[in-house]
Order: sequence, then C-alpha cells, then structure tokens
Amino acid sequence: MTLGRGDYRAVVVGAGIMGLYTAHHLARAGAGPLLVVDRGRLSAGGSGRNGGGVRQQWETRSTIRLAREAVAAYRRFDREFGHNLWFRQGGYLFLASDPSELERLQRVRDAGRAEGLPVRLLGTDEVEALVDGIAPGACVGGCYLASDGTLYPYPAVWGLYEAVRALGVEVALGTEALGVRRGDRGEVVELQTSSGPVRTPTVVNAAGGWSGELSRRCGLDVPNVATRHEILATEPMKAFLDPMLVRVSDGLYVSQSMRGELVGGLTVPHPPGTDAGVPSSPRFVTAMAHALVGLLPRAAGLGVLRAWAGFYDDTPDGFPVIGEDPRLPGFVHANGFGGHGFMLAPSASRRVAATVLREPVDLDPREFSPGRFLGAGAAPSSERLQLG
Amino acid sequence: MVSAPPRRFRFNRATVEARAGESILAALGRRGWPSLVRSVRYHRPRGPFCGVGNCTGCLVRVNGLPNVRACQRPAQDGDRVRTENAWPSARFDLLGALDLLLPHGVDTVHGLRRPSWAAPLYQRVGRALAGFGHAPDRAATVPTGPPRSRSAAITIVGSGRSGRAVAERLVRAGERPVLIDRRAATGRDGPTAVDGAELLAGTTATFLSPDGADGGRGFTLLGVDRDGAGVLVRTRTIVVATGGYDGPLLFEGSDRPGVVTADLALSDHGLPLGETVVVGGGMRARDVVARLGEDVGAVVALSEIAPELVRTAADLGVPLYPRSRVVRSVGRAHVRGVEVARRDGGGSFRLSCRTVVLAHRRLPNAQLAFQAGARRRWWDVPGAYYPEVDAAGRTTVPGVVAVGTAAVPAGRPGPPPEQAVVGILEPASAPASPLPATGPPSELLPYYRELLREPRHGKWVVCPCEDVLLHELEAAVARGYRGLELGMRYTGVGTGLCQGRYCLPDATVLLAILEGREPPEVGFVTQRPPLVPTSLAALASLRDELDPEAGR
Repeated sequence: MTLGRGDYRAVVVGAGIMGLYTAHHLARAGAGPLLVVDRGRLSAGGSGRNGGGVRQQWETRSTIRLAREAVAAYRRFDREFGHNLWFRQGGYLFLASDPSELERLQRVRDAGRAEGLPVRLLGTDEVEALVDGIAPGACVGGCYLASDGTLYPYPAVWGLYEAVRALGVEVALGTEALGVRRGDRGEVVELQTSSGPVRTPTVVNAAGGWSGELSRRCGLDVPNVATRHEILATEPMKAFLDPMLVRVSDGLYVSQSMRGELVGGLTVPHPPGTDAGVPSSPRFVTAMAHALVGLLPRAAGLGVLRAWAGFYDDTPDGFPVIGEDPRLPGFVHANGFGGHGFMLAPSASRRVAATVLREPVDLDPREFSPGRFLGAGAAPSSERLQLG
Repeated sequence: MVSAPPRRFRFNRATVEARAGESILAALGRRGWPSLVRSVRYHRPRGPFCGVGNCTGCLVRVNGLPNVRACQRPAQDGDRVRTENAWPSARFDLLGALDLLLPHGVDTVHGLRRPSWAAPLYQRVGRALAGFGHAPDRAATVPTGPPRSRSAAITIVGSGRSGRAVAERLVRAGERPVLIDRRAATGRDGPTAVDGAELLAGTTATFLSPDGADGGRGFTLLGVDRDGAGVLVRTRTIVVATGGYDGPLLFEGSDRPGVVTADLALSDHGLPLGETVVVGGGMRARDVVARLGEDVGAVVALSEIAPELVRTAADLGVPLYPRSRVVRSVGRAHVRGVEVARRDGGGSFRLSCRTVVLAHRRLPNAQLAFQAGARRRWWDVPGAYYPEVDAAGRTTVPGVVAVGTAAVPAGRPGPPPEQAVVGILEPASAPASPLPATGPPSELLPYYRELLREPRHGKWVVCPCEDVLLHELEAAVARGYRGLELGMRYTGVGTGLCQGRYCLPDATVLLAILEGREPPEVGFVTQRPPLVPTSLAALASLRDELDPEAGR
C-alpha cells in the first residue's frame, strides 16, 4: 500500500477504538490531513478481543470521571454512528470474599458516591437475589452500580472506521509503524512505516498492547508492559445473568452477552510478551472453568465454545498514559490502559486530541502524563481496581 | 447373547423406548422423522443434519441440561428429554412466525434503531430470543467422572484406517502409541483396538496446545470422555488421523429438515429417510446409493459421475443427472421434493423425495493441527483448508503429523503410513518440501458464481447454527469489510456451535467470488479451541493436573 499524501497534521498509530476515536475528534475539530496506520486488519488487537465491559466503579476520582463520560458517549453511539453496540446496562457487581476486600469495595463505593454515582454496597442476600444460582457463601458482600454494562466491541470499531473515512481521514491497514525521524530540535518530523515514510509533526501512539514496543522503536524508554490475558465464551443460553460479576480475590469476571454466551476471564500469571501465536492455554481454560463453576455451580453443564487471548498494556501505577512525551516533542501517548482502553476510549481520546491540538487538558499530569515515570513526581495515588 | 431390556425415557410428554446403547436420536427416529429444534434466530424448522455430533440439528435438553446432541447421547432409562427453542413443539412453534414476519432477516448491526424510544424494547426482546436453550436447571446433575491424565511419547487421534495403519507400524517399530477415538467402544461403528497400542475409546480430543510442556517440546491435549470426565494427555508427538466429514451445499431451502449429509445417511441412527435424492458424483455418493438401495430416487451431480457410481446406479435402475444442480428444496417443515436443473441451461423439473443426501464432498477434520498452529493450504477440491504436509505427513509444527483424509483430500496421493512413521520418529531438522495441492479444478466455485448472479427468493442460510444469510455476507463485502476474519465478525458466520464446520469452507468460496479474489486470499479464521463445546465441569476437573499449586 502506498500512502496518498506527503504531509499529515497528525498520524495515529493503531486503528483500534482509541486511535479511531482520537482521529474522529481531530477530524471533527478540522485539524487537517490525518492518517491512521495499523499493522493488522480491523479488530485484530485488543479492540476485537476484549470482553465488552464498560464500568464506572473505580478507586480514583479521575478515572471515574473519564468512565462516566465514556458511558454517556456509548449510550449515544448507536444514533451517532449508525452501528448498534447493544450496550446493555445490566450493572457491574464486584464481589468480596473477605472483610478486607469488602473494606476496599467500601472505598470504591465512597469514591463513586463522591462523584454522584448511586453505587451501592450489597449484602449476601441482596447479591443472591440479583444473581440467580450464585454459590451459597460465594461472597461476603458486593458493590453494585446498575448503569455499568456490556457492549459489542466490533460495531464500535466499524462505526468509527466508517465515520472517520467519511470525514476524510485516511486509514492504512496492514501498515506497520517502524520508528520516527527527528528534526533539528529533536522533534518528530517523520514517521517511518512499512509502506514508506510519511511527514508529520505529530505521532499518536494508540497501539494498545504493542504501544510499549512502538515507543521503544522511537527511542523512548517506557514502563509499559504487554501482559497476556485470556477469555473464554460458553455456548449461548437464554438470558439468566443480568450483571457483570467481578470477584476481587482472583480477578474472575463473567457476563452474559446479548447472544447469550457467558463471556469471562481470570487473572492467570503469564510471562510478558506479545507473541500472539498461541491463541489460548489449557492452564487458563481449566483454571477459568474451575473458578466459574465455583461461583455459578449451575454453569457446570455448559459447554465452552471458544477461548482466545489478547494483550493488556499495563503501567506500574495502573493509570493510563495520556500526553506528549517530554523527551520527544510531537510524540503523543494514548496507551497504558491495562485492559480498560475500550471502556475509557470515548473520553480518554478526547484528551488525546486536545493534547495534539495544544488545547487545555483537564487531567492531573501526576496521574496521566508520560513524564510521571521520569522522576518528575510520582502519582499521588494509584488506580488498583484493574479487574474485569 | 441375551438382549438387554429396553430403556424408557420421556420425550416431552411421550414415553419412548430405546434399545441398549442406542442414541436418543435413533430411538426417536423409530417413531418417524424427529423434529427436535428450531433455528436460533428465525425459528426456522431444523432437523438432524449430520448425525455425527457436529451440527445443531438435533439439540435437546436432557435432564435439565441444555444443548445435548441427541445423536451422540445414548438413551438412558428415565431420561427426561425436551425440545428447545420451540413452543409448544418443534413441529408447530409459535415463534416460527418470526421467519414469516422477517422475510429478509433482521440487520442487528444497523437496523432496529427506529423509533429511538423502542431501543430498550428491541434489546429486551433480542435478549429473550437469544440462545437455543435455557440455562441448566439449578438442580441438574452434570455427568462427570474423575479426571484421567496420562503421558505418551506418541498420541494418535483417530483410529480409522489411517490411524490404525500408523499405529500398527509404530508398534512394530517398538513404540507404544496411545490411540484416541471419539466413537464408543461398543456399537457397529466402534473403533477396533490395535495390539500393542493403548486405545482410549469414547474420548473426544478438543484442545491441542503446543504449550512447551515436556521441557519446551511437546503438547497438552485436553478432551472429554463419554461419561463427561476430563481427559488430559501430555505427549511428545501428535498424529492427526481424524478423517473427515461430509460438507454442505448451499441452495434455496438447503437448511430444510430432510436435507442431510452422507454421514447421517450412513450412520447407524437408522432414521427413516424414505425416498431419497443423492447429491454427488463420486465414491461417497456411491456408498450412499449402495447402502440405501431401492430408496434412492435419483442422483444429481454438479459435474460428471464416476463410472463406479454409474454401475451401482444402473444395477438399481436409479436415474442419473450429471452436470445438474438442486435449484431448491420444496416443502414446508420437511422436504417433499427438489427442483433440479441442468447447469448448461434448460428448464427445471421436480423430483419428489423425503430426503436429500449431500455426498458431494468430504471435508477434513484437521482442526487439531490448526489449533497447534500448523500452516494451512487451500485445496480447490473439495474446497477447504488442509494442513500443509510433506511426504512424511509432517506439518509445519514440529511434532504434529497429519495422515489420511485429514491431511489430503480423499483420492489424492497423501503420506503413506510407512512414510508417516518416519515423519513421527524423525522430526524434520529442516523445513521439508510440502506436497503440492494439485487436483481437479473446483466445481464449487463455478456453481456458486452461477448462484450469486441469479435472483434469489427467501432466506439463503449460509450458517445454519447462527442463521446467517447469504445477503449478509454480500453486505459485509459491499461495505468494505473484506476477508474471512472480518466477515465472521461482521455477520457471525462461523461463530456457532458447529465451530464453523458447515459454513466456513463455503463462506470462504463465496467471499472469494464476491471480493474478486481466490479463496486462499480471503484468509481463514484462527482455530480457537475447543473443537466441540466442552463442559465447564470437565475442564474444571483438570485444573489441578495442569497447575498443581492451584489446589493448595
């Protein structure tokens, strides 16, 4: 593929939800010629592999604000982009297995309430009323927000893909970003790609699980780590599970999709790396099955239909990285979402676009800026609710 | 031999008798053609199609557990068998009205957005309609047993002709391979043991992972046995000898009950097929004609008819229609006939029949090799991906060897057993040269080209598990979503319970035509495990085997 134009106002690396949303904000703001490159096809990365969860329950105020805005955007998405996400707000129910976890969920509740969200702590009887067939004694309580939910990730990518192209954005699939060339002042002047170089003063790194690798290709030492994560889906059933369940102790999460499949994952240790050659592991499938049957015994007779793997883009403090890299002017990070990029994309990408356009950004740089890892001042808090 | 007493089970409100070891499907078949299920989205009538545990045509609820394949489940005394996804019965289902109300299907990606106030209603209705069965009863007992685990140097999956031939030669070479076969040890079709080899009968291998067990080499194979117990085999080398299955053919009404594959016609379920039209001109069609005899009313083949089939048909006085195609099946909830036309022009004519047997192409059961990451190669005949193998059956994954009709199409020269033994015992040090995928030109490609040019009526169901329609594939391509991976995500083709066995090969050909490319350029869908839906209970029972730390 040859790239059409010589010069772009900005080049976004990654045609996933984050990159396409960023391109959409930029195009709507009339930023100028824009290009999105992706080494694969649509939905080949995390945007095509996630479980579709969208929640607003977090430990920190900043993340809650981003998440609220994202939920509002996904509620409008069908009308705005003409593609149905089937966003079903069946709630998220975090489950505590012991009093210390319950204390943690109390903090989640307090943080949500402080932002005006009607987050509720549930006792075991309320949990059992909400989750038909949950194992007796499976939890000591839970934390619930009814407006959280699940959606289909693919139509979001298609809707944005069609929308940005209609706005004149070029999207080059099958084009891999290889590195940048710097100008006299050390700033970005060119992105090198597998389809040749393109001139641009701005590169947005929205490469999901591969963003750490891309930054390093551009000469930047970043702490992003790609972590394998696996998911399985069962055969479809008539609806019986309304909320997304997340168990704090082991990171088990499961929801029932609009098609009726139980879809879920589990935190299973994997060595870091981005080798996608192995689609799934027996260790995950059996551990997940064991955990799921323990939580929902009636699911024991359900067949697993398929399993797959993807990559989380993790950071040391659990906050994403949004902002221009102080070491490489013109290089803007939109990564480090730790498996929650899809659910935060509509709002996070707005800040990314504002960064590109040199507009004010309402994020605490101690939490989100790439500079926070350079010893400039660590984040005052960390977002540890990296589950589900 | 003393004959065992009959089993009695309940089917909805009726009491049904079954012979010992007989499948639920076979027992129900003795009362007439069994109507068991409606399709998932439009509640179209569906019937038994494959008879070998692949399709969704005989799903029933058994003892409170959903989606049990009646063809694979031996009838037990006291079983409670119920219809799924139909009310009051599969024969007469009120929601069958959906099929009439939505003659062109429903576009769930772009449709159902107006009026906007109705969106929550669409969501509630859509959610209520999804899925074949209800979740398992809370009191349902999941059949399972203690997990079984073993290690083997060589594991052969499939004890058909090729698998046994390889096993015998390995035994002679001093090896003690483990043979795995999904068929139960009993019954006419049961697998035969090989002296010196261990046979795990009734075990379905579902997940092959090159997980680096055994010091960086080797494989983990997960499966499930007839009792529902999990099976784990750690092995250095795996031989995929899983044979094939009879492929589908798309025509108007090709999803109507009564259209079945040769697998079902040749199975021992003994369904009352009645007057039959056989589709296919090769040896598989001849096997069907020889088996069904006088019941065969006609043979229809897309191209020429093999001399052996001509002779068999002549002996029985069966008329042959070469270079012809089934234009449509006729009937309502069951086939009453077919319309047939010569492919080189002329009008169509009607043949009355109760059953259409598809025996025109065998497709490979090579999914285990693909799970392990073996490179694929497209064969124009029969129109499917096979693993790329060399003359000794080695795939591109060291330690994975494929033989028989899982390696090359029936009738093509494949790796002979004595060569496969070399491939098994002497893993290649360098990449071997692959066997060429040469054969006759595709008869499917020109046939589907003709179809796509013609006007169409009614729903053309490409993917019967998920009710995906032909025009949805066309719409995906028209919007610029090219290739099988995107086509699958856009339309849902290949995401159903048969794991794409009965839609992905044809979807590959159809997309190739629609995109103006060759089939292999359309790509393929990653083979995501497991091979057949495998119960959470069986998988859960294997956790401690795979992670001894976990149980503590």
